[in-house]
Amino acid sequence: MTNLSLGSRIHLLAGVAFLLYVAFAFLGFRAAGANGWMITLMTLSVVVFILMLYTLHRIQVALARITARMEEAAGGNLAGRITGIRKGAATEAAAWALNDLLDQVEAYFRETNAAFEHAQKGLTFRKAMTSGLHGAFRQSLERVNVSVEAMADSQRLVQKERLLARVGELSAVNLVKDLKTIQDFLVAQNQDMRVVANLSRETAEEAEASTAGIQAIVADLNRVIDLIDSTHGQITQIHEKSSEIQQIIQVITEVADKTNLLALNAAIEAAHAGEAGKGFAVVAEEVRTLSENTKDAAASIAASIGSFGLATTRMMNDAGHMKEIADTSRSAITEFAGQFQRFSESARTSLAQVTRAQDKGFTSLVKVDHFVFKQNGYRTLQAGLDSAEAKAARTDHHQCRLGLWYEQGEGKKAFGQLACYDRLALPHARVHGNVHAAMGLLNERWESDPALQEDVVAAFQAAEQASDEVMDALDCMVTERHGG
Amino acid sequence: MSAVRPTPTQQEKVLNDEDFIVSKTDLRGIITYGNRVFIGISGYEESELLGAPHNILRHPDMPRVVFKLLWDTIQAGREINAYVKNLAKDGSFYWVFANITPAFDERGAVSGYYSVRRKPKAAAIETFTGIYRAMLEAERRAGGGQAAMKASQALLEQTLQEKGVSYDEFVLGV
Repeated sequence: MTNLSLGSRIHLLAGVAFLLYVAFAFLGFRAAGANGWMITLMTLSVVVFILMLYTLHRIQVALARITARMEEAAGGNLAGRITGIRKGAATEAAAWALNDLLDQVEAYFRETNAAFEHAQKGLTFRKAMTSGLHGAFRQSLERVNVSVEAMADSQRLVQKERLLARVGELSAVNLVKDLKTIQDFLVAQNQDMRVVANLSRETAEEAEASTAGIQAIVADLNRVIDLIDSTHGQITQIHEKSSEIQQIIQVITEVADKTNLLALNAAIEAAHAGEAGKGFAVVAEEVRTLSENTKDAAASIAASIGSFGLATTRMMNDAGHMKEIADTSRSAITEFAGQFQRFSESARTSLAQVTRAQDKGFTSLVKVDHFVFKQNGYRTLQAGLDSAEAKAARTDHHQCRLGLWYEQGEGKKAFGQLACYDRLALPHARVHGNVHAAMGLLNERWESDPALQEDVVAAFQAAEQASDEVMDALDCMVTERHGG
Repeated sequence: MSAVRPTPTQQEKVLNDEDFIVSKTDLRGIITYGNRVFIGISGYEESELLGAPHNILRHPDMPRVVFKLLWDTIQAGREINAYVKNLAKDGSFYWVFANITPAFDERGAVSGYYSVRRKPKAAAIETFTGIYRAMLEAERRAGGGQAAMKASQALLEQTLQEKGVSYDEFVLGV
């Protein structure tokens, strides 16, 4: 009997009671005989029994409905309710209580779902409505609302970080692009500066060589002026001598005239003397002829000397002009030599400045190279280890432009002997080393492993610090080579 | 079931703070379930409610476009929240803050609607009394039909635009 369900048990007990009642009535009929009252009572009892069984059946049916709804609910289907509940029925309270329970549960789930679904879309103003829900349902919904609030907070944070990340990404991409523009510009400028430096060097050297040439010219010109001076002096002497000769010729001419007069007088005297004077007349004629000849010779000498004097006067004038011209040339060329000296000096100064600018330009370029290198390292976080950025960031400190420059290129030649040069290699190696170390930490776990992220940040920080030291060393080298 | 609409009176019934009216309808809006609070406040017997259209509760002070919005939203599978003035059997009215959600069957199709009504905040009743009155006025002026709906909806949208919020945000925040 204990194995039977409650309904069946009630039916069984009722059946047994009915049989016992029938047996009791049968015994009563036998003992006392049937009369009207007894028959009426018996009939009434049977009707009551039937009513009782019907009521029991209805309760059973209602219980079965309640059970079915509860089983549905246990199976996760909360939609069903019990309807058409009769007022005053034994199961009325139970049915409504079940409906109320299902209303609470269903409303609880709908509110929870609505709040989370909205929150997922960022619509965190849709909180779970707690009003009308009781006890544990309400407490749980209040907790849901706390979660939704937390979701809203973290969503705001995520949105903010997403924006920051996107802007950061944008800025990083453009930064590298911008830096590359500057890099290209500096590379071109470096080449231009090299050409300018070479030209300046050539100019300075040529100016120096030309200065020596000009000084030789000034010396030659001075010698020419000296020669002109002495020539002028000699010509003046000659000119003076020709005057003396003119005077001598004058004396000779006067002597010849007087001799001629004497010969004429002698001829007259000889004629007076007659035949005795004939021989003497011949001598007198010879003397007269000699004096005539002498006079003619003197006149032609005088004419020669006269034209000679004119020539020397012209020569003297010319020599004077030559001297003036030579003097002017000398002062011009001396001034020019001075100017050329200054030009040569300024060529040297500008060579020094150009070299300094070239060094500064080059150090700027390698600084930018390092900005780009670090940015490529940072960009690897976004772009991944197979990206072009990662490839660029894998360059080591021997192969980058700075490495090549100071290990084997012009840097070693020009700066190798400086104290600051020795300060460069170590931090430079650390810049590359730390960026490579950070990239090495980027395995498949880094995005979710805070400790790993700390290490990545630390490595990048170390790279930044080393980078600062590289910048300082570069500035120091330029200052040491060229002065403040 | 063609219920004769009760004549509205100025009698107001006020929900208790924790009153929780629950009802369910089929896809056509025919009531399939109502809890005891619903039965109590509406004044109808359970047997009168079951099989009746939910709009037996519709109060003439409510703009028609609100119910259009309500049906459009839940038929699209989304929940709606609305302040509603309801008409009880005895002609009295009661304000509720209604949340209506579609119920889905195992295949994910909308199989009916589930509505929970709670006691609205007094300030919200005041706000919506004003808004609904203006909307109703707009509907009357437009003379009914599509034009009335459009005029009323335009007024609601304008109100929301002035406040710079969506309908959901406004209704939940008021």
